Amino acid sequence: MTKPRRWALLTGAAIAVSALLAGCSGGGTAATNTNSDEINYALPANFTPNWILPIGTAAHLNTNNGSIAQSLYEPLIAYDGSTGKIAWNKKGSVATAADFASDGKSVTVTLGDRHWSDGKPITSRDVEFWYNLIKANKAQWGSYSEGKVPDNWTSFTADDDTHFTITFDKAYNSDWMLANQLSLVVPLPQHAWDKTSASASVSDADRTTDGAKAVWKTINTAAGKIADYDSDPLWKTISGPYGVKSFTTAGKVQLVANSKYDGGQKAQIKTVNLLPFTTADAEANAVRSGEVDYGYIQATDLDQKDSFTSKGYDVEPWTGWAITYMPYNFNNPKMGAVFKQDYARQAVQMSIDQKSLSKVVFNGTATPTYGPVPQAQESDYVSSAQKDNPYPFSTSKAKALLTSHGWTEKGGTMVCTDAGSGASQCGEGVAAGTKFTMQVLSQSGSSVTDNMMSAIQSSLAKTGIGFTIKTAPVSSVLSQTPTCTSDEDSCDWDLSFFGTAGSWYFPAYPTGEALFSTGGSANFGSYSNKQVDDLVNATTTSTDSSAVQDYSAAVAKDLPVIWLPSPDYQISVVKQGLTGFDQDSLANFHPAQWKWSK
Amino acid sequence: MTTVLYLTRRVLQALAVILIVTIVVFCLLHALPGGPARGVLGVSATPVQIAAFNQAQGLDQPLPVQYLRFLGRLLTGDLGTSYTLNEPVSQLIQERLPKTLVLTGLSAVLGLVVAIPIGMWQAARRNGAVDYTVTALAFVFYSTPAFFLGLVLIVVFSQQLPWLPSQAPSGNTLAEVFQDPAGLVLPVLTGALAMIAVFSRYMRASTLENLQEDYVRTARAGGSSTMTILRRHVFRNSLTPVVAMLGYYLPVLFGGALVTEQLFNYPGMGLLFWNAAQSSDYPTLLGCVLVISVATVIGTLLADVAQSLIDPRVKADRA
Repeated sequence: MTKPRRWALLTGAAIAVSALLAGCSGGGTAATNTNSDEINYALPANFTPNWILPIGTAAHLNTNNGSIAQSLYEPLIAYDGSTGKIAWNKKGSVATAADFASDGKSVTVTLGDRHWSDGKPITSRDVEFWYNLIKANKAQWGSYSEGKVPDNWTSFTADDDTHFTITFDKAYNSDWMLANQLSLVVPLPQHAWDKTSASASVSDADRTTDGAKAVWKTINTAAGKIADYDSDPLWKTISGPYGVKSFTTAGKVQLVANSKYDGGQKAQIKTVNLLPFTTADAEANAVRSGEVDYGYIQATDLDQKDSFTSKGYDVEPWTGWAITYMPYNFNNPKMGAVFKQDYARQAVQMSIDQKSLSKVVFNGTATPTYGPVPQAQESDYVSSAQKDNPYPFSTSKAKALLTSHGWTEKGGTMVCTDAGSGASQCGEGVAAGTKFTMQVLSQSGSSVTDNMMSAIQSSLAKTGIGFTIKTAPVSSVLSQTPTCTSDEDSCDWDLSFFGTAGSWYFPAYPTGEALFSTGGSANFGSYSNKQVDDLVNATTTSTDSSAVQDYSAAVAKDLPVIWLPSPDYQISVVKQGLTGFDQDSLANFHPAQWKWSK
Repeated sequence: MTTVLYLTRRVLQALAVILIVTIVVFCLLHALPGGPARGVLGVSATPVQIAAFNQAQGLDQPLPVQYLRFLGRLLTGDLGTSYTLNEPVSQLIQERLPKTLVLTGLSAVLGLVVAIPIGMWQAARRNGAVDYTVTALAFVFYSTPAFFLGLVLIVVFSQQLPWLPSQAPSGNTLAEVFQDPAGLVLPVLTGALAMIAVFSRYMRASTLENLQEDYVRTARAGGSSTMTILRRHVFRNSLTPVVAMLGYYLPVLFGGALVTEQLFNYPGMGLLFWNAAQSSDYPTLLGCVLVISVATVIGTLLADVAQSLIDPRVKADRA
C-alpha cells in the first residue's frame, strides 16, 4: 500500500465514523405528537417508575407509582383534587356510597355494578381481600401508621356482593375516615391473586394470617419483576381505565386503554406514554423540542414563558396540598431552651418575609403559608387566625421583642444578657451569654432553595439572629435531622429543611397527627404541646366541623416550626388542545381525564 | 515467564486494592449519621416502617457482619437489591453499563480517530496558521464545560434547526439504542469534541518531542520524506503517552459521563452512581464503586501492557 493511500485510509476512517454518526441524523427530526390517540407525559426528574401494585412498602408507594397503580386498579373511594376541588370523585371510584352510622362507629359502603377486565364482578370479597392482606402485613405496608388503618377497624362484614360494613374501635370524624382512611382501600382481584405461591391455585388463603402473609409475599415478589409487568398474567386482571402495554426498567411506561373498563372515567386517549427524565434540564430541552405534550418547567424558566407559549404550550401552575416549613430541634442541648420560648419563635417568624420570598425568589410560584393547613387552595379548613398571618414581617418588631426579653445586640448578634424566667428575661433554661445563632441543614440541588435561604439569612441578620446554612442531599437531611433526645450525639442539629418541593403533602383531610402531635412520626423537632395534642385528636374523632379550624389557629399561633412559602408542586406546560382535567393538588395524575380537543 | 510473573503480581495487587476500596467505601457509607432508612422511605415513614426496612436490609446487624454478608453475596455475584429502584444491582449494572460503554466508547473512538491525525498534522506544520487555528479551537473546546457544549448543540441542532432529537435513545437494550442512531449524535459529539481537544494536544506534544530525536534526523539524512518519517517512525513512538492516558480513561468509560447522561436523558452508569449517592442507596453505590475500581485496575494494567508492547524499553525496565 502506498503512503498516500494509507493516509487516505486513516483520514477516510475518521470521516466515515463522523459520517456514520452525522449521517444517522437523516430523518432525525425532533418528534412532535400529532396523534390524537397518544400523549407523551413527562414524569418528574430523576423518578423511575418501579411499582404497579397498589399495596407495598413505603419505598415503593410514592405518588407517581401510586398514580400509575390507580390507573390500573381503581380505588374504592377516590378522594382527590382531580375535579377542581378536593372531594370524592365518584366517577373514578368503585364505591358509589358510604353511609356512616349515626354514632360514628361504623360505615356501610355500596359498590357500583363493576367488573374486572376478565369479566368477573368486583365484589365485597375483593375489598375483604385487601383488608385481610393489610391486616396481616401492616408493618410492611407503606401507608401504615400506628393506630390508623387497619388498627382502628375492628371488623369487616360483607353484607352481600355489593355492600359491606366496617366497624371502628371508637367514633370518628366521618370526613376524616372517608378522606384519609377509606380512600386507602383498593379492591384487589381475589379470584386471580389469592395464591400462596406463583404456582399455587387460587383459594381463600387470605382468610388466615399465615395465608395472607404468603399471598402478600407472592404478589410483592411478582411486583418486584418489572420486566414482567407487561407479560405476567397476574397484572392482566385490572379494574382501572388503563392497562400496561410496556414497562421498561429504564422507566419508560406505555399504558393502553382498557377496553373492558365499565366505570365512570373511561380513557379518552388510547395510548399514554410516561417518559422518565434524568434531570429537569433534560426535560425542559425535550419540551422546547416539542417531544413532550404535558411536561413542566422550573420557576427560574418562567421568565421565558413566552418561548413556551409560542411553541404551542400553556403554562399552568400546579399547586400542591402541602405546607413548607423548617422544624426547630427543641431538644438541641444548646439552642433547645431558646426555641422553647414563644417570643423567640415569634421573633424568628416575624423575620421571614413570605410575601417577598414568594414573589421574588419563587417568581410568583409559591404561596405564603402561615400555619399547618395548606393555603394555595381555598378550603374550609383554614382558620382566620392562620389566614391573617399572626406574625407579619417586621424585623424592627422582632428585634424589639428580643430586646424586651433580656437580649442585647452585640456585634450584630443578639446575646442573652438577662437570664431568668421572669416576663422580661430570656426564659427558662437560657443561660446568660447565649448567642441567638442557628444553623439549618438544607436540601441541596435547588438554586431557588439556596436563594431563599440566603434571603432568610439576610432578614434574620437584621433582627440580630445569626443563621448559617449547610446543605446536603434531601436523603441526608432527613437522616441527619432525626427525632432525638438532648443526650444523643445526633441531636446537635438546630433547623432542618427538606421542602424544596414542599415539606409535607397531606391526604385530603389535613390533620397533623404525624407532624405536631407529641411523639408524631414526622415530628422531627420533638415539639410537644398538650393543647395541640388535644386539638389534633379532635380533628380525627370530633364530629364538629370546626375542629380543623381550631387546630389551624392554635398551631399557627404556637409556631412549632418556621412557616415558609409553599412552592407549587409543578409548573406545568401543557400542549394547547389537551383538555378535560384539573391538576390534582394531591399531586396525582389521572390520564383517563385527559383528552385532545378537536 | 517474566511477563507471566509480572501479570500475576499485578492481578494480585489489583484484588487487594479492590478489597481495600470496598472496605473503605463500606465503612464510609455506614459512618454517615442516621442511616439510609429515613432518606429512602421519605419524610412520612413511621418508626415501624423504618425498623422493618432496617431489618429487611440487615442494617440492624453489626457492621462487620454486614460487610461479611456483602462479601459472601459478592462471591456469588449478588450485589444486593437497590433500595430505590426495585431491581437487583447486578441487573442495573448489566443494563446501564453497556449503554454507557456505547456512548463513551463511540465518543472515545471518534475523538481518537480525529485527534491523532490532527495532533500529528499540527506537529508537522507547527507554528503555522493551521497549527495556531487548531490549537485555539482545541483550547476553546477544552475549556468549555461539557454541559454548556451539550446545551449549545441542543439549541442549535435540536431547537433552532430541528434536525436531531435532544434526547439520547431511551431503549433499554443495545438493540433498542441502535434503533435510534440519530439520538446518539449529539451526546457522542459532546463527548468527542472534548476528547479531540485533549488528545490532539497530547499527540501534538508527543510528536513534536519525537521529531527532535536523533532517529528522525538520521531518517531525514537518509532521504525519507516527512510523511514517511511520521508514518513509519514517529507515529508509533508518539502513541506511548496517548496509550497511557487511554488506560486511565477506562474508568471514565465505565463510570460514565455524568454530565452527558444528565443532559441528554440517557440513564447510564454515571447517573446511576450519582443518584445512588444522592439517595443513600448503599447497595447500588457499592456496586458502582466495585465496577469503577475494577475498571481502574484493569485500565492501568492494560495501559502498562500496551506501553510495553509499543515501547520495548518499558518491558526492559520491568525485567
